Amino acid sequence: MHPLTESRSPSRLNRRGLERLDLMLLSVEALDLNGGEAMVFMAQQLGFGDLFPNRVELWKRRCYNPLRLACRRGELSETETDALISVLCALAERIYPMLRQLLSSSEPDVVSIQRWELFRQRLDELVRERLNPRRGGVQKLLDPEEGARHRLQLVQGLALGAGAGGFDRLKASLMDAAA
Amino acid sequence: MKQSYRYEQTSCRLRIDGLPDLSASQADDAIGILMGWELDLIGRPSLEGKRNHLEALLTVVLPYARHLVSGVPRPFGADGSPVQIEPLVNGEQSRHRLRLFSSQPDTPPLEFDFDDAELADLVRCLDQLRLDPRVQLGFVIPAEVPLQRREILERVPLRRRLLSPAAGLAALVITSSLSLMLPLPKPAAPQGEAKPAATSAPTTPQAPAAP
Repeated sequence: MHPLTESRSPSRLNRRGLERLDLMLLSVEALDLNGGEAMVFMAQQLGFGDLFPNRVELWKRRCYNPLRLACRRGELSETETDALISVLCALAERIYPMLRQLLSSSEPDVVSIQRWELFRQRLDELVRERLNPRRGGVQKLLDPEEGARHRLQLVQGLALGAGAGGFDRLKASLMDAAA
Repeated sequence: MKQSYRYEQTSCRLRIDGLPDLSASQADDAIGILMGWELDLIGRPSLEGKRNHLEALLTVVLPYARHLVSGVPRPFGADGSPVQIEPLVNGEQSRHRLRLFSSQPDTPPLEFDFDDAELADLVRCLDQLRLDPRVQLGFVIPAEVPLQRREILERVPLRRRLLSPAAGLAALVITSSLSLMLPLPKPAAPQGEAKPAATSAPTTPQAPAAP
């Protein structure tokens, strides 16, 4: 089929879905200092070693996020996005205790505030390092007021998408229609 | 032979008891006939119920979690449903109210307020139950589907949604007002014997000059 006449498969992620998927992976990296290595390890454990044999190949796929500084045009195949979502769900399962601590209201307020602040600092560093600060989505994430809401949504999404049960939920959410 | 399976998370434990449905050729370790279930939530009374209560819990809590992942939480559980859940707006913290209706008449519903962590624990327990191949109860759970645009639009605050049309309307009103304030061009004054333009309106003939 001619590329110009090829219609986007309904099961592929749109731009917003790719943005959110990469931001959630970025959040995992912010929460887990070994997140980058863990992604490659987890991909191999889940049988995606051919798709993501090393960090560079993984990074190339993540660069389809339109908010990236080194953004790649085009879209990922369903196989690739499914593999990335599976890796994300497995990573979220791995860090679920940390996600739970962030979301729990039974933790002391002082400790909870410190945890969120640490997460904010690390995520902001990664966002400034890798994403394009001129994009509105990035500015919202770095905004002191709006950023907190976005970070809460990211952590909620990771907690509810953790594990095998979260795959379908997360995938459906990433395929939401654009607002 | 009676089977009993447990699914545990930090703040939540779900136990189901049942028997394999041998008429449906289920394996010995399967549960096809539910005898009972029990949900223990930390700091709250233990919950028990029948098959329809467990099915209602699954069909209400899981779609609610699905919407929460998309950032558009909304109430689930129709009137008459034994289980209902709705989001609570409480400052910056998001909480979720689970309401359970007893099948006994004149019994007030039980209400539990969960934080995000407790809700995630409950969802994970229900996921484990849903995905357990040994549990073959045939629950009909709505499939996870992408949300439509109109459902997503609710996520954008009304003020922000109305901002662009309001700005456009204001710009139109200001431009129109300014154009009304501009003076109208005055008709050109007649200059002596100037000939009327060929396309001008017919004029009355001038009276003959007096001798």
